[in-house]
Amino acid sequence: MGGNQSVPKITKQDRAILDLKLQRDKVKQYQKKIQGILDREHDIAKQQLAAGQKDRALLALRRRKYQEGLLAKTDAQLENLEQLVSTIEFSLVEVSVLHGLQQGNEVLKEIHKEMNVDSVEKLLEETAEAQAYQREIDEMLANNLSAEDEDAVLKELERLRDEVLGETKPEQAKLVHFPSAPSTEPVSPMPAETEAVPAQQGQERIPVAA
Amino acid sequence: MASTSFSPYKTASGFLLPSIHSAPPFFTQQPNLSTQITHTAHWTRLILSYARHRQLFLLRVEDAETSGSNWDEILKNERINRKLLPTHLSFILADMVSKNLAIYEPVRQTRSVLLYWRTPEEWAEVLHGWADSTGQLNTILTFYDIVEPPVPSPLVGLPLTMLRKAIAILAKTSRAQTIAVADGEGVRFLSGNTTR
Repeated sequence: MGGNQSVPKITKQDRAILDLKLQRDKVKQYQKKIQGILDREHDIAKQQLAAGQKDRALLALRRRKYQEGLLAKTDAQLENLEQLVSTIEFSLVEVSVLHGLQQGNEVLKEIHKEMNVDSVEKLLEETAEAQAYQREIDEMLANNLSAEDEDAVLKELERLRDEVLGETKPEQAKLVHFPSAPSTEPVSPMPAETEAVPAQQGQERIPVAA
Repeated sequence: MASTSFSPYKTASGFLLPSIHSAPPFFTQQPNLSTQITHTAHWTRLILSYARHRQLFLLRVEDAETSGSNWDEILKNERINRKLLPTHLSFILADMVSKNLAIYEPVRQTRSVLLYWRTPEEWAEVLHGWADSTGQLNTILTFYDIVEPPVPSPLVGLPLTMLRKAIAILAKTSRAQTIAVADGEGVRFLSGNTTR
């Protein structure tokens, strides 16, 4: 599975950070020890006072005071160490952010090489030309088709006519009698005719509607 | 003896002792084999759950020989004036080691054991989960950082032997990496996503 490939390499900075942290731990442990001594001296002082030995109690308190001073100094050292550790860790974060930006920048540059402004313009022009050309072809084909259609329709019409002419005339009259929109204003004689026709058609229609 | 009741008892630390703990025969190593097996099983269960309750890791035969240790609530029952004898404890410890519920720590002696109320695999998960939830993945940590952190964690007081085992388990799935320098050693936890 190659597990080692997914584990990051241990760099010098990593070792430096570990070193610092180990030193910090030592200081912390030292502080704990001192705190223990402080507590013990405090108890001793109390015991001595209870036993009436004021001098001994004073001595214990003096020792305690000295240890407290040490503790305060180590506090300061600890702060220094911890600050240094966090500064280093922060700068590592900054480095990786910078690294990320760099990589992103390079990727963008590569993309731009392939996709520069001129070639895009050219591409768009070519596409527009091709589309116009295509539209021309479409129109031509459309015209052709309708011309073909017209020929076919005319031929069909002539055929039908020949058929109909061979049959009775009323049907011919029927053929001619297509409903057409009135071309003139409706006048009184016309409504009489149109009324007769719709009435007939109405009578014809009623059974159909039923 | 009529005054003792065979009922569960809550100790000062909030641990509920099972009723068998109030029975005097529980503290005597029984000659009858099946009773012995049952009692040993009970003691084992009791020891492990107490250890989990108080986050204790080590149990020594010495703890039965002296008083004042962390184990007094279990190994002694003042109410019935009984306590577990060192030889009996030694027997129970040996049984636990044979069942992989504890290991002799340090090795090559039989007076002190490290208790497995969590197996190293479980500790590995707890460890990785803690590193993740405290935002400490990909950070260099010392062992001290882990077992004595400034904020209480489920890993406080974990013996280094167990810590090393857990780290080794994580290292196999690329979720931890040990680092050594002149002054000591450290570990870095990784997210373990092999999608790189």
